[in-house]
Amino acid sequence: MRDPKWRDEGDEPDYRFTLANERTFLAWIRTALALLAGGVLLHQFATELDPRLVVTVLSTGLGVVAAVLSVMAYTRWRANEIAIRSGRPLPFSWVLPGLAAVCLLTSAVLVVLLLVT
Amino acid sequence: MAAHSIPATGDPGLQPERTALSWSRTALALAVNALLSLRAGFVVGEPWLVVVGAVLFAASGAAVAVGTVRRRQLAGDRLVITPPRWALEGVAAATLLASLGGIASIYAGGGA
Repeated sequence: MRDPKWRDEGDEPDYRFTLANERTFLAWIRTALALLAGGVLLHQFATELDPRLVVTVLSTGLGVVAAVLSVMAYTRWRANEIAIRSGRPLPFSWVLPGLAAVCLLTSAVLVVLLLVT
Repeated sequence: MAAHSIPATGDPGLQPERTALSWSRTALALAVNALLSLRAGFVVGEPWLVVVGAVLFAASGAAVAVGTVRRRQLAGDRLVITPPRWALEGVAAATLLASLGGIASIYAGGGA
């Protein structure tokens, strides 16, 4: 099995950058797993919340976000790795504001559900 | 191309240690989702969800193993900087599987 081509391009960066990138990837993975656990727990344990359809949509949405984040964690790690190897600035991504928006929306919907139930 | 390794630096930022611990924490997060998947499988009586849970437990164990490997690689006189081959891909794939299993568990047993 050959190494991917980008591993031969550019220079080996400062090892601290490589390790920081690895930790960042794992942090995104944990974020995805936490959102997923929240969605599954919400659906399995918050059985008193009404309307049920909203709870189902919210749980499903959290699961979908987790799936997207798991793929994105890897693509971002790879893009960052390539950028630091070639000394370019790290690519910008909308993922962070997007995640904040997801958290805000989830909280807002849950507060409304708790109030109307 | 071999894995990139460097002589030990005595890093005061403890980056090697934090990186190894990061793997262990990720293993815990995977184990939580494995338990949830197992529970959902037993509650709604879906054997495939139990299987997903078992696979996630295996992935969690693998993440613990990678954490141990990383701790050894990043200690001593030479630090191996390159992460183990397929470790990142594997964790990302396990998380994707967990997500799909979690979404499916919401609709399992006919009760959405």
